[in-house]
Amino acid sequence: MALTHRLNMKKCLLSLLALLLTVAVAAATYTPDNLPIPYLQDKRQYVSNPDGILSQTAVDSLNLWLGQMEKSHGVQTVLAVVEHIEGGDTYDFSMALGRKYGIGRKDQNSGLIILLSTGDRAYTILTGRGLEGTLPDAICKRIENRQMLPALREGDWDDAMLQTVRAITAYVDGDDSLVGSSDFEEDDAYALMAFCLFMAVALGLIGLAVWYDNRRKSYCPSCKQYKMKKISSYATTNRSLGIRTHHDTYRCTHCYFTKEIHWDEDIHSHGGSAAAGSALGGSFFGGGSSFGGGSFGGGSFGGGGASGRF
Amino acid sequence: MKKPSLSIIIGIIVVLCGFYGCNAYNGLVSQDENVSRAWADVETQYQRRSDLIPNLVNTVKGYAAHESQTLRAVVEARTKATQITVDPANLTPEKLAEYQAAQGEVSQALGRLLAITENYPDLKANEQFSELQAQLEGTENRIAESRRLFNEAAQQYNVSVRRFPNNLFANLFGFSVKGNFKADAGAEKAPEVQF
Repeated sequence: MALTHRLNMKKCLLSLLALLLTVAVAAATYTPDNLPIPYLQDKRQYVSNPDGILSQTAVDSLNLWLGQMEKSHGVQTVLAVVEHIEGGDTYDFSMALGRKYGIGRKDQNSGLIILLSTGDRAYTILTGRGLEGTLPDAICKRIENRQMLPALREGDWDDAMLQTVRAITAYVDGDDSLVGSSDFEEDDAYALMAFCLFMAVALGLIGLAVWYDNRRKSYCPSCKQYKMKKISSYATTNRSLGIRTHHDTYRCTHCYFTKEIHWDEDIHSHGGSAAAGSALGGSFFGGGSSFGGGSFGGGSFGGGGASGRF
Repeated sequence: MKKPSLSIIIGIIVVLCGFYGCNAYNGLVSQDENVSRAWADVETQYQRRSDLIPNLVNTVKGYAAHESQTLRAVVEARTKATQITVDPANLTPEKLAEYQAAQGEVSQALGRLLAITENYPDLKANEQFSELQAQLEGTENRIAESRRLFNEAAQQYNVSVRRFPNNLFANLFGFSVKGNFKADAGAEKAPEVQF
């Protein structure tokens, strides 16, 4: 009984493994839904290269350039190079991708999709609605004809993409109407705002505490009025214990009742609060500099751009 | 305790109906506005195609002057189509069908023109023509996208207009059902290429 059970388990695992393998093979044909978008995990990664068609060097350069383009002109790009796409139509695929993720900032609709499917021998440059003026269809076609196609015909995928992105960057750089993405600064601004808010609340609480403390000290137990004033004070220090004892004398301005208040101060703890403050500040600003996942702004595509086959 | 009189109950019902009516009216107005905006975009894209045609015809003429019949067909279809405009306030299904038919003729004439350019390698190698063709393709894509968005807006509007109890208010205020684009008659069969 136990043996058959184990055998069944083994069969189960094997079939599961086979299923996984078929999925892995089938995944070589991408749909807009299963194409990996690394940008969502790391906002420095604009290139989707799931089949490893581009070399790592090329991917790094492309990521660098596309990152600069987003920073300086707010153009948010997804560049995908795959073996096969479902349907084989790069335009339809790109539109579906743009619709799914809303690539590009919403305010200027500056999304850009560059898709190359080497197995289908087809490519598309798709421009967001706000990019149609910077990169008109004719210009996209010209870039494809002059920069992309010659390299594609030689099967040099790296060069095709590098040349294309370089040419696009030149056109985007020439358009001053595109405003740079403030995304990176925005994060810092939010951290600063949160820090200021925190500080304001903390200062308010401290102020409240000081005010309450003073009020408590000015309370006259004899005439029940808050009219006590400090008239003299002196301190004694016990170095071995590390304690300074303050002796404050208060007199009521109303009924001339006098009381003495003693309180101890720990000499060693001086500077402790300052250290805590700087540690807090450090952690607040430190959070902004690490790169998290990116998010797409909700830009829309109207169908501009150019496609072709080679 | 005195029972509330009938007139008070009727008064409350009338006020509630009034509130609901206002709400329904405002909803319909904003959806109507969405449809108008989507329609304006559709017209813009068709206009864009219309503007590209003279340039395209002239470029082709330079290489294939004796295809004058095909070229003339494009120009004539364009002229006919530009005469048919639809006021966004009057987007009846009939009007829209008429508009679509006229633009469909332009599409077919253009399809034939692009089909014959296949016979002229010099023309195909011309960069200007290639870019013009890309512009035309992009415009066709934009037309398709704007039509899709228009259909979405029109469908949403039509559902609100016809659903109870909105339909009562829609009738009262004169909101009528709007037309939408049907799949092109020529879309299911590829354009015929004759040699």
